[in-house]
Amino acid sequence: MDFVTLGGNLLGTIPLGDIVLYVNPFNLFLFAVLLGFTALIAVSKPETQVEAAKFNTLDNAQVKVDEKEFRQRRFLSVICGIASAGAMITGDLFNFTLFMALVGILNIGIVSAVKQTSVLNSAFNYGLIAMMCSLPLFGGASIILASTGTLSLAVLSQMHASPMVVFGAILMLIGILGESGVAPFFASKAEMFRTPGSPFIVIIHLSSLFIIVRAVEILLLVLW
Amino acid sequence: MRIGVLWNKLADPKNIPRLFAFSLGIILIIGFIVPMALNPDQIYVRPDPQEQIDEGLALAPYDRGGEPLKEAGFINPQYPENAASLGMITGYMSPLAEWISSISPYFGTSIYSSPGGLVDEILYYTRGFDTILESSILMMSFIIASWLSINYTMNRKNDADEIKKDMKKAVNDSVHVAREVKANDAKARSKQLRRDN
Repeated sequence: MDFVTLGGNLLGTIPLGDIVLYVNPFNLFLFAVLLGFTALIAVSKPETQVEAAKFNTLDNAQVKVDEKEFRQRRFLSVICGIASAGAMITGDLFNFTLFMALVGILNIGIVSAVKQTSVLNSAFNYGLIAMMCSLPLFGGASIILASTGTLSLAVLSQMHASPMVVFGAILMLIGILGESGVAPFFASKAEMFRTPGSPFIVIIHLSSLFIIVRAVEILLLVLW
Repeated sequence: MRIGVLWNKLADPKNIPRLFAFSLGIILIIGFIVPMALNPDQIYVRPDPQEQIDEGLALAPYDRGGEPLKEAGFINPQYPENAASLGMITGYMSPLAEWISSISPYFGTSIYSSPGGLVDEILYYTRGFDTILESSILMMSFIIASWLSINYTMNRKNDADEIKKDMKKAVNDSVHVAREVKANDAKARSKQLRRDN
């Protein structure tokens, strides 16, 4: 499938050597929304959570984010927002997998700064999946490279998909599903959200959503 | 098994890595029956390894030809127009590298070889953005690891619930000890009483 059919007219390209970022209305919109949200996160304050289980006792059940933790999580969230924004306009298959891996490791990082053991346990399980995902992600990209001889999406979109390309795309999809934690691998990621510090938790969610949308576009470009 | 039981198992974070590994394994096994066909028309192509070794080149299999700053070596990128001076320094070797390549036929296969090793134009010129991303992934993981090692978030010793559990255990233990001491006391006293009478 062509760029034009999927995302509208090509507005321009940003050539960085062999990695050519391309801009069309669809990608530009995703990019701008993510950057705007990242800017909001960079200036916002974290919320404080009251634990439901402790409502009927008299002790102070508020879970607060302390200064140091707040700084670390804000830093990682801003980088995560920028990385997922970059994944929106990249025009190179391998570049996209690298952005995906960066977002995955930052998701773990944002959660690993909290101090609740149950949340850390599920973050650990998510980390195991993210580690396993590097095999299908990069393996899929390299299989597509081996069978088509190119990594540029502009060239890939013009090519006919052979069975090997389809297999590579399925591998990539498995990698993206695991790394962004969607069904049926959601449980480890959903448990990670049970912690205070709302804007940082939301960027985990948002980056996976946007990356899934972008991955669908990329797989359509490669397969059709 | 009812489907509800299955969904409940899916909701446990502990089972998810196993499920993921299982499904990945199935997909990889399916990969064995997919017909594999290598496209010979690749970017960043280089000659077959044995070809250059048979010719007796010291830089085999990384000899891309070219003379530094004069004549471009052969790299074959996707968009040659974006990298105008590509291949100009791919033939560069330091004096040390030149000396080693003059005495050893295996220079090209060693890690310190310049062509394809130290000054890799594919990594630092045509795909430079990828290299930046790779090192930023590494940097982020170092940041996370150092934050964890300094702040030690999984601090079970100071966890309120763990402390409560430990306290209960300690109270139980001390009650147990107190009861035993009391029993011993009573026994000793009765012994003493018997001796006195």
